[in-house]
Amino acid sequence: MRGYLAYLRAAIQVGVVYRLGFLFTVIGNVLYMIIAYFLWRSIYAGKTELNGLTFDQAFLYIALGSTVFILLKTYADWGMAQEIRDGTISICLAKPIDYQLYTLFTTVGFSSTSLVTVTLPTVLMLAFVFRINAGIGPGYLLFPVSLALAFLISFHFDYLVGLTAFYTESIWGISTSKDIIISVLSGALLPLQFFPEAVQRILMVLPFQAIYFTPLMMVTKPDQSVSVFLPQLGIQALWVLATYAACRLFYNRAIKVLRVAGG
Amino acid sequence: MLSFGDYIRLYFLIEAQYIKSQMQYRVDFIVSSFGMFFSSLATLSVFVVLFNSIPTLAGWSLMEMVFIYAFYMIAISPMQILFDAVWWLRYKVQSGEFIKYYFRPMNIMFYFMSERFDIKGLTQLAVGIILLVYASIQLALVWSPGKLAALLVALVSAALVLISIAVMAGASAFWLVNSYPVLALAWKVREFAPYPMSIFDGIFRFAFTFILPIGFIAFYPAQFFLRPAEISPVVYLTPVVGVALFALMYKVWDLGVNSYTGTGS
Repeated sequence: MRGYLAYLRAAIQVGVVYRLGFLFTVIGNVLYMIIAYFLWRSIYAGKTELNGLTFDQAFLYIALGSTVFILLKTYADWGMAQEIRDGTISICLAKPIDYQLYTLFTTVGFSSTSLVTVTLPTVLMLAFVFRINAGIGPGYLLFPVSLALAFLISFHFDYLVGLTAFYTESIWGISTSKDIIISVLSGALLPLQFFPEAVQRILMVLPFQAIYFTPLMMVTKPDQSVSVFLPQLGIQALWVLATYAACRLFYNRAIKVLRVAGG
Repeated sequence: MLSFGDYIRLYFLIEAQYIKSQMQYRVDFIVSSFGMFFSSLATLSVFVVLFNSIPTLAGWSLMEMVFIYAFYMIAISPMQILFDAVWWLRYKVQSGEFIKYYFRPMNIMFYFMSERFDIKGLTQLAVGIILLVYASIQLALVWSPGKLAALLVALVSAALVLISIAVMAGASAFWLVNSYPVLALAWKVREFAPYPMSIFDGIFRFAFTFILPIGFIAFYPAQFFLRPAEISPVVYLTPVVGVALFALMYKVWDLGVNSYTGTGS
């Protein structure tokens, strides 16, 4: 365990080196929130509620959604593809460590820097600059738990895409397709309530909603009872396990085709 | 000095080599084209779902939004296809490999950009053209030869705006080395180009028109074809903004190229 924590720390140190990068990410996110604010204001023109959400709730959902997106966009798949292509993965395989755990800890290290530099300032801005009020409730307390589970599901999808690098030279296509499918079907771009009902029913049984829709709704409508939230956390946990199993199975197959030339 | 004809000939020679080298990754090409296709349709699907709940967005109908979006997709294609190398500039600058571009008797930007030709961008161009034709039929737009010529001018101008923003963001590598965050920022902002500028209030509308001119990427030029009776004079500035930004971008690029000292290796 201590060994893995060293990878986490190293990733944080790399993140700190690119402070300027986080500044641009924050600027980009603030611009996004301003544009989203105006966009949703004109969507709500003259209406107090759309599909069961007030303007404040919808805007909070979208703004927080883009912030969570930055947190979950860890480029773990790109890092893995790089390691597999240039053969540095062999260094990892030669050590008594588990490749998936090593990747997970590096990814958590990467994200914890953006948690402090991007997520926290955004949440403060939403509370104090945009003065968004969506109510008070247990949803706020359960949100971090839900976000952690969402992080794991998202990581598992990245890991699966990263493993395809064992078979193909470049993962641009599959990684982009994954990003797009997740953003559209998970409710990262639009709250799922806006989709037609038949589509909603399908989306709710797919794993993608557990990445964005579930945690975001806990903050958007926090004043529901705990008995509403707990089954949602349970479904997230099930998806964590299912995607984890998929990762293990795929890794065992993919590792067999690895050939690293020289050292 | 090379003539314009020499450059055209050279471009095809360099591109032919690049495409040959890419043909070994056929699976990747097919998957990438699908990725491009999905990503082209993502914003469109958001429009379609959104318009289930609202009749118009700031007075614009779904089909008008599809037209603006299609215009945007075509306008972005030259940047995507011909200037894709901006994403690699930071690696070349960091490794010192960029120094090689100084040793050929041709324009450095031309040489650098010609080394990549993004084939998958053609998917986006095709989707854009199909959507533009579809939306103009649905909106019963009448295309005279004059209008078509204006469309060409508008598309070229919008493409110049996009190319300029992307190259300037990429060229920040000359000073920052890691230009990825700047490129990612430019990439994110560009996503808002297809939305009506009329959703913004005074100061922000001014900013997105004159300071960060994303309005000229799609919304202003497309207005000329959608609602010619009610356009603002700003629309006619599109070619001026395109050319002026391109000149500014070339100046920035030149500054960067002249300040680059390599890595000593």
